[in-house]
Amino acid sequence: MGRVGSLGRRLLALAVIWVLLALLVAGVALTDLFRRHVEADLTRAMEQHLDQLTAALSAPGQGAGRPLALARELSDPRFERPLSGLYWQVSQAGTVRLRSRSLWDQDLPGGGPVPADGALHLRRAAAPEGGTLLIWERRVSLPDADQPLDIAVAANAAALEAATGNFARVLALSLGVLALGLLAAALVQVRLGLVPLDRLRAALADLRAGRSTRVQGAFPSEVQPLVDDLNQVLADNADMVERARTQAGNLAHALKTPLAVIANSAHGMADAEGARLIAAETERMRRQIDHHLSRARAAAMARGAGLRTAVAPALAGLARTIPRLHPDRDIALDLQVPDGLLFRGEGQDLQEMAGNLLDNAAKWCEGRIRLSAAPAGPGQLCIIVADDGPGIPADRRAAVLARGTRLDEAVPGSGLGLAIVDDLARLYGGVLELDEDTALGGLSARLTLPRA
Amino acid sequence: MRLLVVEDDPQLRAQLRAALEAAPYAVDTAPDGEEAAFMGETEPYDAVVLDLGLPKRDGLSVLRGWRAAGRSMPVLILTARGTWQEKVEGMDAGADDYLAKPFRMEELLARVRALIRRAGGQAAAEITCGLVALDTRAGRVTVAGQPVTLTAHELRVLSYLMHHQGRVISRTELTEHVYAQDFDRDSNTIEVFIGRLRRKLGVDVIHTERGLGYRLAAP
Repeated sequence: MGRVGSLGRRLLALAVIWVLLALLVAGVALTDLFRRHVEADLTRAMEQHLDQLTAALSAPGQGAGRPLALARELSDPRFERPLSGLYWQVSQAGTVRLRSRSLWDQDLPGGGPVPADGALHLRRAAAPEGGTLLIWERRVSLPDADQPLDIAVAANAAALEAATGNFARVLALSLGVLALGLLAAALVQVRLGLVPLDRLRAALADLRAGRSTRVQGAFPSEVQPLVDDLNQVLADNADMVERARTQAGNLAHALKTPLAVIANSAHGMADAEGARLIAAETERMRRQIDHHLSRARAAAMARGAGLRTAVAPALAGLARTIPRLHPDRDIALDLQVPDGLLFRGEGQDLQEMAGNLLDNAAKWCEGRIRLSAAPAGPGQLCIIVADDGPGIPADRRAAVLARGTRLDEAVPGSGLGLAIVDDLARLYGGVLELDEDTALGGLSARLTLPRA
Repeated sequence: MRLLVVEDDPQLRAQLRAALEAAPYAVDTAPDGEEAAFMGETEPYDAVVLDLGLPKRDGLSVLRGWRAAGRSMPVLILTARGTWQEKVEGMDAGADDYLAKPFRMEELLARVRALIRRAGGQAAAEITCGLVALDTRAGRVTVAGQPVTLTAHELRVLSYLMHHQGRVISRTELTEHVYAQDFDRDSNTIEVFIGRLRRKLGVDVIHTERGLGYRLAAP
């Protein structure tokens, strides 16, 4: 996802941390709550056992001097099963007087005297069958006993731990599922939230590829100001380029009219050598103006974003114009340009390149010119201007692309035509190649340019 | 032949006028778009040299105005911005030829000659009528190969008749195409020119159509 993706990952990482932390705290708190609840339940049950035991001890018929005995057995059968994990014990003044069968031949681990406040006291000790033993004790005074009795009931904590453990496992599973759900939701949220940024990225790609001149579409209020600013910058840039082009044109106009006056004045001068010199120099100045203006404009344009020109109308305009500019030649121009072909650049430059090639063809042809354009490979298009003229010998083709060369001075033209085309094509990262046309027999000029 | 030169630069305008009058054409000039539009719509020109970068009204819009009004005289566009985009725009607006500044005056004269010739339906640079031949490039007239010396006005009258052979040309039409706008016109002088031409050529090619005008045709 590139740069936008790092923002997504950041949001996602925060969501992961937050969800895990929240669920962990919730899990710990819930487990603790559950444990307290189970412990309270156990405490209530054990208190009942203890009350039952106390009642059985203080039943009528037990007098002084008679051995301490239970009036009736406790209801829970586990007290009878050896090492069942549920025990009771009655002791008096540190001596064990009675204990449950479940204790078998052991006493509950001693824990010191029990406070005589009548309240229930809980302590922990090692269980005879292993594990932790929870022991509840209370000191009671029976009416016909000379010394108070310490009555204790005990339960192994394993059941409690098992219940808590089970609960914790189920809870962990539920919370895990919840975490996955929340993370999936966070992922969707981040993706959906970043969709406008992806759209912006696509719009910028369109801009760079020359498919649009501004960022299109409406964006959320967080992104829209950025888009508006960007469009403003693009508009300012386009304005600046337009102004620069107008000024370049004005400069050309301002220089060329005086040049025409100078050249024409020189023509009427008595000093033939001076006249020739002035004519040659004004011609050179004109070439320089043309050359550098077209270069400057194209350099500004080739880097500009969002430029695209429909090839078909631009070439059709030239195809209309060229035969009319050469009315004395009977030119049949065959135009083969598919609709929808787009040049990634300025229309003026496209016409400048194709126009110069066509003008050359019109000067040299016997009467037939073929102008064709087609997509050529990824992101490129080619324009081919072919004629049925004499062509250019293979060994001189490189020379005509050099500035100012003219193979035949008799045919009017600046001699810069092909060189300007070559220059402009290079500025667009394209290329001009000269070859012999197999169909018409004359020169074939092939122009490869970026396609939008 | 009468031309309109539209150019805002006074120096270049003067040079164009001088070169074209020496050709010889009758030349009117306009310094801006508005005046050019008016003159082109009201006066019968045989060709127009039109600069595009004009004050008050742009040259292309002037040209479109003329074509919309049905004026079909050939127009040579003269401009400093010689881009192909502008050439296409110019030709689409109704121009007949295009010349970028700076230009060689010979080239401008050659193009104007060609425009006028083609407008009259003449393909070759030399126009003939019987024994009379007019070399439009040099402005020379020969009868049976012998050169004949003519004044500028005589040449303009003969040139117009040669370019419109076989058609009856009224005296008013001839006057309009032989004199520039600011010239003190006198239609009687046309008769004088015709008389001199008949005498100098020595062959009977200029016919008088009574009450209508003149017609050039081989005897």
